[in-house]
Amino acid sequence: MALTSRLTEGAFVSSRQGAWGELAHLSQRAADVGLRRLAPADLARLSPGYRDACADLAHARAARYSAPLVEQLELLAAQAHSTLYAARRGQAARVREAFAAFPRAVRRRKGAVALAALLFFAPLAFGLLASLSDPTFAFKVAPEAMLRQLSEAYARGFDEGRRGGEGALMAGFYVNNNVGIALRCFATGIFGGLGSAFYLFQNGLSIGAILGYVISQGAGANIGVFIIGHGSFELGAIVLAGGAGLSMGWSIVSPGEKTRLHSLQDTSKDVVVIVAGAAAMLLVAALLEGFWSGSSLPAEVKLVFGGAMFALVSAYLVLAGRARAEGAP
Amino acid sequence: MGTHALPPLDTDVAVETPEHIVFRHRVAGPARRALAHALDLVICYGVVIAVALVVALAVVGGAGLGGAISDSAGLGIGLLLVLLFAAQWIYFAAWEGLLGATPGKMAAGIRVVTTDGRPVGPPQAALRNLLRAADLMPVGYVVGLASMLLSHRFQRLGDRAAATMVIIVPRAPRGFVAPIWPPPQPDEIAAMPADVLFDPEERAALELFLRRRAALPASRANELARLVVGPISRRFAFAVADPVRTLALLYDRAQHAGRDEAPRSAKRGARWR
Repeated sequence: MALTSRLTEGAFVSSRQGAWGELAHLSQRAADVGLRRLAPADLARLSPGYRDACADLAHARAARYSAPLVEQLELLAAQAHSTLYAARRGQAARVREAFAAFPRAVRRRKGAVALAALLFFAPLAFGLLASLSDPTFAFKVAPEAMLRQLSEAYARGFDEGRRGGEGALMAGFYVNNNVGIALRCFATGIFGGLGSAFYLFQNGLSIGAILGYVISQGAGANIGVFIIGHGSFELGAIVLAGGAGLSMGWSIVSPGEKTRLHSLQDTSKDVVVIVAGAAAMLLVAALLEGFWSGSSLPAEVKLVFGGAMFALVSAYLVLAGRARAEGAP
Repeated sequence: MGTHALPPLDTDVAVETPEHIVFRHRVAGPARRALAHALDLVICYGVVIAVALVVALAVVGGAGLGGAISDSAGLGIGLLLVLLFAAQWIYFAAWEGLLGATPGKMAAGIRVVTTDGRPVGPPQAALRNLLRAADLMPVGYVVGLASMLLSHRFQRLGDRAAATMVIIVPRAPRGFVAPIWPPPQPDEIAAMPADVLFDPEERAALELFLRRRAALPASRANELARLVVGPISRRFAFAVADPVRTLALLYDRAQHAGRDEAPRSAKRGARWR
């Protein structure tokens, strides 16, 4: 058998030990304080040190040195590898990037988003018309007692406003419930898009039916004023999350020239941005719904504000991040 | 791959870096991950329950004073609902995005990495934990478990979509083989064959045994050594009275044979070969 090296293990270890110690120290420091805050001299030594350790590891494996030595080198190289390949950019740059990346990702998926809007708003319109013509239709999607209570509450109007505690409670409820629904609507899209389609349809239908019922009981103006403030964020976000789920599901059903797994990975990396944006929109919606929509402000103010928010959200999704995308080489 | 004498276990995943170094990661199976998950659930819902108790006490206390009862209760319940949301959707993604493991995973000695063996970033951590909602359907992670069993990396759906896997954090290396004591005597060196070659399995087994030697009672070490010393000493036509020492001497020579600067035990009068 040809031995690849004539260096004994002991001699090898004693000649290289200093370098290994230094690399271990450097990568530990980089892991502790972050790569960016490492002194330039240390940073310059980290990468060559890692490559040397890789060479040493390859040598130790080829020369059949003892398992503990190889393990030690593997651990050392793995630690340095994790540090070197984990470089992250500054937080401020990431936030600015995300702000533009969200509407861009939405526009890239506009087909799926349009389908999601159809799957949501068509049942919503159907539910609305059905319970307008026959209010008992709404009892099929929600319990009668709850609906009666709801329409009485809206009939009373918002002149008393909400007390601070009640606003916080409702905001908490909306965060837990609505954001949860939107995220679940996205996640279940992995089953070929069926889960997303189901959640979109179900939520559209029940929102439409409840809306129709409340209007049929004569509280239409009040619920309209209530919804308009946060509606563009809330309904928009559910559609976007559903659209992201549909994209993810479709990427498995029809992967094109990629494998199904690669298609899924590429698409979901892209659409997770949409989901994060939708979740942020829903947090805004929850705060508005808890503290603004139920407040005792005059209806005119709420209408104007709601219209402005609708314009803002639409403009953001349609226009934001465009110039740079086109200017980019 | 010389040092991996034994064929790798099928729970090992090999990852090659751009430097052409292959790392072997042991992927964590469902049992260990379930344990980590249970710990995380205890932490999350422990906090929720603790806050719920504080809120309940505050409401009861506030009731005595009258007045702002519903305000504090509303605030408290709102906070609780936000915490419940965080336990379900934020806790896992935040820990894994920032540190690569939740507290439960750290305690269970596992970590999330990409399938290239790199640390996960926030987007991947978010994606794999969003899809938890699909994995735990219809009940008790049935979908996730099915996906794990059909994957050679034990990936649930979230792991597949985010291209991540959960690995067992490598431990610090085990101890080295202690040098032979007392040192090889001239007559032993003279009697040893010049060329000792073990195949990789034999070498790994000997190494394991010799590393454990210090921890074993002498009689047990002898008993174990006697199981294998017969065929080995016949092959190399070498034996001393003590079977453990026989194995140690042969291993020592196999390790150092043919190297420059080898210790005395590896040389025999004239230069080898």
